Amino acid sequence: MRRYSFLLTLGFSVYLGYTVYAGQVTLRLANYSGVNNSAWLGSVIGLVGSVWLTLIGFYVVKNSIQRDRQTRVGQILATTPISKSFYTLAKTLSNFVVLAAMIFVLALAALVIQLSQRTGASINVVALVSPVLIFGLSAVAVTAALAVLFESLPVLRGGVGNILYFFLWTALIAFGAGSLDRGASLNPLHPIVDYTGIATVMGQMQSQVHGLDPAYSGGASFSVGGLKPTTKTFRWSGLIWTPALAFSRAMLFAIAAALALLAAVFFDRFDPARAGWFTAKKAKKMSGDGAGEGFPVAGFENQFVNVARPHLSAAHLAPLLRTGAHIRFFTLVRAELRLMIRGHAWWWYTVAAGLFIACLASPLDAARSGVNVAAWIWPALIWSQMGTREAQFSTGSLVFSAPRPVPQQLLATYAAGVLVAIFAGGGLGLHLLFVRDFAGLAAWAAGAMFIPALALALGVTTGTRKFFEALYTAWWYAGPLHHTPRIDFMGTTAQSSAPGIYLAAAALLLLIACTWRGVKLAHA
Amino acid sequence: MKLEIEDVSKQYRRGVLALRSFSLELKPGVLGLLGPNGAGKTTLMSILATITKASKGRVLWDGVDIARSPDALRTVLGYLPQDFGVYPNLNAVEFLEYLAAVKGLDAVSSKRRIEELLNLVNLTEARKRPLGGFSGGMKQRVGIAQALLNDPELLIVDEPTAGLDPEERVRFRNLLSELSGERIVILSTHIVSDVEATATDIALIEKGSLVAHATPEALLQLVEGKVWEWVVASTELNAAKQRFLVSSTTRRSDGVHVRVLGEEPPQGAQPVAPNLEDAYLYCLNQHRAGLAQ
Repeated sequence: MRRYSFLLTLGFSVYLGYTVYAGQVTLRLANYSGVNNSAWLGSVIGLVGSVWLTLIGFYVVKNSIQRDRQTRVGQILATTPISKSFYTLAKTLSNFVVLAAMIFVLALAALVIQLSQRTGASINVVALVSPVLIFGLSAVAVTAALAVLFESLPVLRGGVGNILYFFLWTALIAFGAGSLDRGASLNPLHPIVDYTGIATVMGQMQSQVHGLDPAYSGGASFSVGGLKPTTKTFRWSGLIWTPALAFSRAMLFAIAAALALLAAVFFDRFDPARAGWFTAKKAKKMSGDGAGEGFPVAGFENQFVNVARPHLSAAHLAPLLRTGAHIRFFTLVRAELRLMIRGHAWWWYTVAAGLFIACLASPLDAARSGVNVAAWIWPALIWSQMGTREAQFSTGSLVFSAPRPVPQQLLATYAAGVLVAIFAGGGLGLHLLFVRDFAGLAAWAAGAMFIPALALALGVTTGTRKFFEALYTAWWYAGPLHHTPRIDFMGTTAQSSAPGIYLAAAALLLLIACTWRGVKLAHA
Repeated sequence: MKLEIEDVSKQYRRGVLALRSFSLELKPGVLGLLGPNGAGKTTLMSILATITKASKGRVLWDGVDIARSPDALRTVLGYLPQDFGVYPNLNAVEFLEYLAAVKGLDAVSSKRRIEELLNLVNLTEARKRPLGGFSGGMKQRVGIAQALLNDPELLIVDEPTAGLDPEERVRFRNLLSELSGERIVILSTHIVSDVEATATDIALIEKGSLVAHATPEALLQLVEGKVWEWVVASTELNAAKQRFLVSSTTRRSDGVHVRVLGEEPPQGAQPVAPNLEDAYLYCLNQHRAGLAQ
């Protein structure tokens, strides 16, 4: 908690409250919305908290085990009597405390919002705060445990887990909302079906509106962004806290504990020898074929070394061609590119090549709106390292003591990121060029420029790859995958593409990255 | 070639003062920067390596302020930090090629130099292995190689022998001596024997202040006739430690040989030739006594 980022997350909770206050998040039941009383406001803010903090909160807390690993505190902990299950439960609890603080801030924001609205309605603190706390706390308990489970599984520990969680979260939300559409079949004893509480809250609201208006067809939505205002209102009397509902929320804590214990099964206790086959295979490759540092022979180490090892004196080093302060930009781009693409398994390159060929061979519309969308999510974990690599691998002191770390080195990283986009989506680029679709080519080029700029700016400013991985996946899902105008940065259709905006955004993001890095280095 | 450190102070957030009005002028040779843990050595190294900036004062490289024009120094700087990481997926050659590109070196001439440097640090056989599988000592040797990539005029090495085995440590000391001709080498360490073997000048630092700056000979001169050795029973050792400034103890069959520093010899003690470790302890002790008054 003793980090600025924790304050930022609390600030985010306040912002969530503000989105409700400003009408940016709306809950409606067909043409109905609730009168702005404590029960309505509390329910809306409760859903905002449980829906968004289960997503954002995961990325906030998914580093607690990794931190122990990186700081090597884990190796010390591993030598203590602490058990694996105790460790994963404790980590889940600490994650939960962080997320619970965000929920409490949100509850406080709900109170402030109602006080500031001055609607004349009396404030019912219980009706206002209880949905925020009960739905929020139980939902983030599951999130806290999932973060520990993901960190315990080697394959989900890194960027793959960050991306997969978004789809898991989407599926859980969709499943919960789907149960609402299925009507009364929702069994409150199955909390995993509705862990955010969206179906429970809206289900009870639907029942109340049905009682008022038999013509009500049953539609309901909970959305971000401006919608046409509703024409009818109803007085939401608040949630009916049945024993079954209370039990279902309590069950989520039990599920969280079960997930934490499941994490203990996979947790390697910081022992590299107990890592999964995936990591073990990599470690074997890393350690080479047995060629060590020398050829020690018991008792004769020095004699052997002196005879066998050729000794080169510093005086014999080849003189270096001095290049002065001039950075050879293209050499640096090539080095950055190699750094980005090295270390992947053969199948990663095979899939990338397959997507390239598929973009080239598919009908243009399919290539543009389908295959290339996949081609540009594939290197997401390469882009997410941009601007964060020096912090991630502790190479900052080597790299930033070299001449001109800003802007040349940063621009070289960006150029390498653009080259990755060009290679990955090159099939579509060539396809568009062959058919002389220059508008499509401009949209493609804007996408290739924008994605690395976004990665670099987020990496440099946040210092972690998680933000790009989470934001890019969510944006990719909402924009390019659904061809949504304005947010389709890949220009997957002629209607949804906006190359000018994304080229300008790329330039702005690049400027932000360079300025941020420059200021940070200047004030180190 | 001249490095001037003028009245440099560094205050971190929360008010921690790591360096206090530190001044020093360096010319070609090896400066051994000695001091206890937390003395401010790494902070000074970071300022000299343009990683961080002084809160007060300035550092001039050939008359150019490195805070205003860091690239004037960076082009001729070789820096081995105390803690540094490597990219685990790259092998030693690729990592050094990457850093050569970052330092703006010519790709063709740096290729040959990288091979030679890997030979110099005894990593030729492991040059194609991913760095992720390297031991701590091997990584340290890669760090030494990268510091020499650009044939630096100013070489800053912070705790360079940490993690090296005795043989590699000797190799590195020899290397440092060979390198010291026409360049400034700053060797920061708390291992006195490393400095003893290589340094042409020594700076002692404690609590961010310069305690002494002199040649090794001058420092040894300070403790000439003030180092004594005598044999005590094991049971008397603690009492001896409380009464005298003990430099070292060695257990032998006739008892514990205790080496102490002092103006007057303990009863039965014999004078012995001082070494740098004695001088280091003596200077620090004098400095602390001065502060206490």
